[in-house]
Amino acid sequence: MSGKVTVIGGGLAGLMSVIKLAERGQKVDLFSLVPCKRSHSVCAQGGINAAVNTKGEGDSTWEHFDDTIYGGDFLANQTPVKNMIEAAPSIIYLVDRMGVQFNRTPEGFLDVRRLGGAKYSRTVFAGATTGQQLIYALDEQVRRYEDEGLVTRYEEWELLSLVRDDEGCCRGVVVQDMKSLDIQVFPADAVILATGGPGMIYVRSTNSTINTGFAAASAYMQGAIYANGEFVQIHPSAIPGRDKLRLMSESIRGDGGRVWVYKDGKPWYFLEDWYPAYGNMVPRDIATRAIFKVCVDMKLGVEGENKVYLDITHLDPHDIDRKLAGVVDIYEKFIGDDPRKVPMETFPAVHYSMGGLWVDYNQMTNIPGLFAAGECEYQYHGANRLGGNSLVAAIYAGMVVGPKAFEYSNGLKQRCNDLPGSLFERAKEEEITKQKALFAMQGKENPYKLHQELGEWMVDNVTVVRNNDRLLATDQKIQELMERYKTIGVGNSPEWGNQIVPFTRRLWGMLSLARVITLGAYHRNESRGAHYKPDFPDRDDENWLKTTKAEWTANGPHFSYDPVDTSFIKPRKRRYDVAKEVTAQNG
Amino acid sequence: MSHSYFWRKLHSLSGILPLGIFLMVHMFINSMATLGQENFNRGVSLLHNIPYLWFFELVVIFIPILYHAFYGIWVVYLTRNNIENYRYFRNWLFYLQRVSAVITLLFVTWHVIGLRFSEGVISNNITFEFVSAALNQPVILVLYLIGLLASFGHFANGLWSFLVSWGITVGEQAQRTAAYGSFVVFIILTAVGINALLAFI
Amino acid sequence: MAKDIRLVIKRQANPKSADYVEEFVIPYFPKMNVVAALMEIQKNPLNAKGDVTTPVAWDCNCLEEVCGACTMVINGQARQACSALVDQLTQPIHLAPLTKFPVVRDLVVDRKVMFDNLRKVKAWIEVDGTHDMGPGPRVSPKVQEQAYRLSKCMTCGCCMEACPNVNPKSNFIGPAPIAQVDLMNSHPTGALQRERRLEALMTEGGIADCGNAQNCIKVCPKEVPLTRSIARLNRATTFHGIKSWFNK
Repeated sequence: MSGKVTVIGGGLAGLMSVIKLAERGQKVDLFSLVPCKRSHSVCAQGGINAAVNTKGEGDSTWEHFDDTIYGGDFLANQTPVKNMIEAAPSIIYLVDRMGVQFNRTPEGFLDVRRLGGAKYSRTVFAGATTGQQLIYALDEQVRRYEDEGLVTRYEEWELLSLVRDDEGCCRGVVVQDMKSLDIQVFPADAVILATGGPGMIYVRSTNSTINTGFAAASAYMQGAIYANGEFVQIHPSAIPGRDKLRLMSESIRGDGGRVWVYKDGKPWYFLEDWYPAYGNMVPRDIATRAIFKVCVDMKLGVEGENKVYLDITHLDPHDIDRKLAGVVDIYEKFIGDDPRKVPMETFPAVHYSMGGLWVDYNQMTNIPGLFAAGECEYQYHGANRLGGNSLVAAIYAGMVVGPKAFEYSNGLKQRCNDLPGSLFERAKEEEITKQKALFAMQGKENPYKLHQELGEWMVDNVTVVRNNDRLLATDQKIQELMERYKTIGVGNSPEWGNQIVPFTRRLWGMLSLARVITLGAYHRNESRGAHYKPDFPDRDDENWLKTTKAEWTANGPHFSYDPVDTSFIKPRKRRYDVAKEVTAQNG
Repeated sequence: MSHSYFWRKLHSLSGILPLGIFLMVHMFINSMATLGQENFNRGVSLLHNIPYLWFFELVVIFIPILYHAFYGIWVVYLTRNNIENYRYFRNWLFYLQRVSAVITLLFVTWHVIGLRFSEGVISNNITFEFVSAALNQPVILVLYLIGLLASFGHFANGLWSFLVSWGITVGEQAQRTAAYGSFVVFIILTAVGINALLAFI
Repeated sequence: MAKDIRLVIKRQANPKSADYVEEFVIPYFPKMNVVAALMEIQKNPLNAKGDVTTPVAWDCNCLEEVCGACTMVINGQARQACSALVDQLTQPIHLAPLTKFPVVRDLVVDRKVMFDNLRKVKAWIEVDGTHDMGPGPRVSPKVQEQAYRLSKCMTCGCCMEACPNVNPKSNFIGPAPIAQVDLMNSHPTGALQRERRLEALMTEGGIADCGNAQNCIKVCPKEVPLTRSIARLNRATTFHGIKSWFNK
């Protein structure tokens, strides 16, 4: 076992794949843009879903599967989703064994809460910082393998590009040390991308500043197919802010929080009014559109602004401390009001990309040897993700991709070390040349300002409500920004610790993916999950029960479409004003 | 367990046992002066006539003092105080513990050279008159006052710190109670010590 | 109402170069925090004199105080820049890199030592493998609540910065990894490796180097009960030391 597997990304998916590989005795190079403990996974709040049925409500993996497919408006391929849901309880047990501090029932079992779009309480949680707790546990396991010498961590390194051999297979990575800006090449038999979502394309979102999607964009620009890019989740509740829209977990509603605005001088609980069967527990796309309607169309937002109340003042303060302290603290720190006493004011915000790199059921992209897992791939959420499913999807994908990459690399006839060194040198030289060109950019545009402009256009036109004329105008705008990109000035800041040049590089990736999102939305003339067009208000299964696949070309993305795997549940109309009917398990 | 762990723990312990105990005994003996000159001289001479005195002095006093002092200098050196930015009560005490350590060290050195070794290694001539003559010089009196307060403070706060370092007081409440306790020790020692000091004047 | 804020930033081009101070004036907006102010410098890299300068380098990711990246010294105290609201700070606002870690550039420091320390004290639970072995041990809600407080540590470095015994002269590992030993040792499975972690804490630069200044608990943004953990482990290591000596 002389080969190397390289993992890019130290979030949940990446760390889980590292553990799976190291457990098999495989040596792994792990690259992460930030120390793994600071990955964006820490921001996940609400919890992780699994049908463990500890409340005796009669939950089952089939119900969880059906909720997920239904919540995703039938766009997800059903086979991998079903496999994931069935593995979910064992995933919870595994991370529990690793020491994740999940909340407990009085008897000492795992406590569960209910999140939107779910019929049952199936979200296991660690206060309101579940993602943080999960990543710490996986990080600790990886540290153990590091201690045993199986894993080498390269923290604060960024992926620049892939090394592809003559047959097009991925054979390694060109990476950069973010301190010295040194560029190096690392040969590998298989490369796993677990690099998270591209939320920074919107600038203001619930995402971390590192979520530029650059690694995925880079793979896309080197021939990897990007799927379902137009499906971007807008979370119903975040604190508005100029630098960031801070997420207020769905678990707030799950634990009894109510959403309202004043109407005719009286509180109006519009979600409970419009969706009596689910009330405040409707899925995110539904809640977000309702809030938009109330604020934008009906002009009933708090103080006339785009805000609604998210109210927990009626809940028991001790329960709040036990289950929601993490988020309540954030609100207190950044706003100054105590949510136990004053209703919070929140508004929807860009949150999660259901789309991502296209992968097969083995998590391999269309580039042989390049795998993807976590938010950077598209596989598990369809057109809308249910709260609590991202964490399970990230860990599950990591559990699948590790062994699959291991199998793949061991099945190779020629290991990366047997390949001519010139292949790697060439790839490295290419990036060094590109970097020199970046440093030579001395125009008048400021990359951060261009980014700001991109974000404003994307938020205004490619989020909750989408109109074709605005989408086309946005694509025009992105192309204009791509023109202006050429006249960026990076100043004369030296290489060491330089942050402008790497940012400028990422900006190009963001612009490229922004086109994939915008044009993907433009082409899809229907409404499905998070993608809503007033001109095409209904789901159109006949024409659009399809996976969008975007391929990079010099003239912008080229789109093609694949049928969706619906082998277990027949698509049916998705509605939340009445209880979801029970489907028969035929699989 | 590394040597550093052992020596560090021993440093904390040596400040209490035997040095703290010795300090209290010392103040108790000094207090004999409050009952008059004769009483004090009798007490001192009794003390000087116990068997194996040199052994007690060496093992219970001098070696622990030397160890506590020299290791302590090392501990003080390893610290970078930051009281100007972190003005918390405990940080103040931490800082004062180091300041008082230095004062106490200077004071004790001067005190021992001046009294115990005033006439060579085997000097046994400490009498009320001798001490009284010294303390009636205002400068010496003030220096003694400072030295006493520093050593009492150092001991009392060291006692609190010892209770934490040895894992005796763990909870916040226990540590707070211990802090009150160590303050009481400081007050009592100060009262007794100063009362004895003034008896020579 | 147009209002400006003034930033005085300690800068340094690289680990070897000398540091210097540069001032910036930035337009104010409500609920502004220090990260948002630094972002304005990126967009408009002019110093207070109006000269073009290199934008200030700093670390940040989550902007909601869970990742720990943006820790720096703000008006003399270590804290996260994202949750440092301008309205609550005295002006001019002084920004400086953490002093207990090597500076990379400007406000960016290298906190690798903190992760190395976690490795040193073996802060992980030894599971047999990732295959399905059913549920983990049952834990009472009370024990979980205590442990959860410890597991919120985001390795941000505030406690290291405020600790007078953590500095270039000493080897002290600082409060953060000690609390993680407490966390791991309080877990039913983690307790199986309890003694190994205690021994790690009893090595050079370990728990005995704590001088009880207790600044750590005051500055910890996540209110991790650090001093309690330290005292608990003082007790545990004392017993362990005595026991192993008598068992020699």
